[in-house]
Amino acid sequence: MLGRLLVVFSLLLGATGAAGAIVTDLSNNRIEIRYSFDGAELILFGSTGSTKVDIRAEDYDVVIVVRGPETPTVVRRKGRVAGIWVNRDNLRFPAAPGYYAVAATRPLEEIASPIAFASYGIGFANLPLVADSGSGLMAPDPDFREALFRLRSSEGLYRQELDTVRIVRQGLFRTDVHLPANVPVGEFIVETFIFQGGSVKARDRITLSVDKEGFERAVYDYAHNHPFFYGITAVIVALSAGWLAGVLGKK
Amino acid sequence: MPLYLPIAELSMNIFLVIGMGAVVGFLSGMFGVGGGFLMTPLLIFAGVPPAVAVATESNEITAASVSGALAHWRRQGVDVKMGAVLIVGGAVGSFFGAQVFTYLRSLGQVDLMISLAYVVFLGSVGGLMFWESARAIIRQRRGYVPPPIPREDRHKAWIHALPFKMRFRKSRLYISALLPLSIGMLVGVLAAIMGVGGGFVMVPAMIYILGMPTNVVVGTSLFQIIFVTSLTTIFHSVNTQTVDIFLAVLLLFGAVIGAQVGARMGLKLKAEQLRALLALMVLAVCVKMGLGLAIEPDELYSVADVADLGGH
Repeated sequence: MLGRLLVVFSLLLGATGAAGAIVTDLSNNRIEIRYSFDGAELILFGSTGSTKVDIRAEDYDVVIVVRGPETPTVVRRKGRVAGIWVNRDNLRFPAAPGYYAVAATRPLEEIASPIAFASYGIGFANLPLVADSGSGLMAPDPDFREALFRLRSSEGLYRQELDTVRIVRQGLFRTDVHLPANVPVGEFIVETFIFQGGSVKARDRITLSVDKEGFERAVYDYAHNHPFFYGITAVIVALSAGWLAGVLGKK
Repeated sequence: MPLYLPIAELSMNIFLVIGMGAVVGFLSGMFGVGGGFLMTPLLIFAGVPPAVAVATESNEITAASVSGALAHWRRQGVDVKMGAVLIVGGAVGSFFGAQVFTYLRSLGQVDLMISLAYVVFLGSVGGLMFWESARAIIRQRRGYVPPPIPREDRHKAWIHALPFKMRFRKSRLYISALLPLSIGMLVGVLAAIMGVGGGFVMVPAMIYILGMPTNVVVGTSLFQIIFVTSLTTIFHSVNTQTVDIFLAVLLLFGAVIGAQVGARMGLKLKAEQLRALLALMVLAVCVKMGLGLAIEPDELYSVADVADLGGH
């Protein structure tokens, strides 16, 4: 807690002092997935410092993008075949972010023009997603791209226009980062953009890592690195649990 | 209380998991069945990925069959030789079932295969069981007693014509080993692709096709289920890493408690009534799975991480 206060304090100092550019930090930049993991709520603090932004002269906006690890992802579409609904078409995205969240002080369209967001790749519509057609890379079918966004949004993995960045006082802002229980493990990138007059005046980039820890990590690694012995272990556990249940059940 | 399952990679309420185990355990204790055919669909409806549900349920069935098999073993109710032949067939079937499972999973068609297998097998077994038990109930009301079938006539002529005859003393049978081998193989395939023990196919097959005496049927079936589901667990662990030990143990914990209560309830009902109820339950699961295939889903699209698909 003391450390967190120091962070806030130093950020406040940064806001008034003559330190470098924009500074951001997370309340926790290493998320550990353990047995009781049910998602995580993080706080991101940031300070505009003494950048080109003149916070006194003009209002400024903050846009924060949190991007999870990119993994090969497949989106499938069901179709009717011989009277039943089966997965018929699919589209493979070689690299789609497992988590993607955009938070801003105001609705994006009020902050800057779509072209400005496109040039920085901010917003789901501006993610440079490509599809693997088997013979080469191509622009994905918009239906599949939309489905990816819709499905991951419903799982809480893609969040856009949902979270707001609050300006605490002139140079200091904060937002909440929501990671759901099914968050993918890996390195996350947190990028903060300061907009003023419709263009980016400053940006900062920090990382966040999400990983399974302790027992959870050990079990996962064991299952994936020694699958045969994991299987044997599972059988031994089942046999002894079953035997124990039989002994206890008789009483 | 949430519990993060490291293999299923999702967070589930621990009481929900134990509760599901208890409900299925209650029903399986009441009807004297393994309950895999109820548990696997229930896990899928609860949001567990189908592949994890099937593989994990194999592991749970191993545990659930041990105490039953031990009880039958003490009562001399296991034909070890017949069991061994069934296991050999089951090992081959389970191996190929797991290969098909892995292949279809990489194509994104494993859910379809699970649903189709449930509809076909539960539909036919449930239908036959319902017809048989309804007939027994009607006959009992009318006071009709069917003439007993002489022991020599239990097998059809083509069964006697098969080669590789083997003597099974405990079952008092002299039949071709090909018969139990192929039955074992079919059940092995079902165990691998449906996440069931396969008792619902094995027991009728032992009675009606092999002609085994009823006092060794259940014990021998449980005996072979232990081995075949153990092998299935290992095959799925190696192929797809989808066996979640924690999920299996929690389900077992609930199932053991539920089964105790269910077994007591079962004693209050007549055998024909139990069978008719069981048949209705089997048909209900079959219809639920069938509707999922026949009705247009609200969401036509689905998304999956390629790394989770095993990549084979």
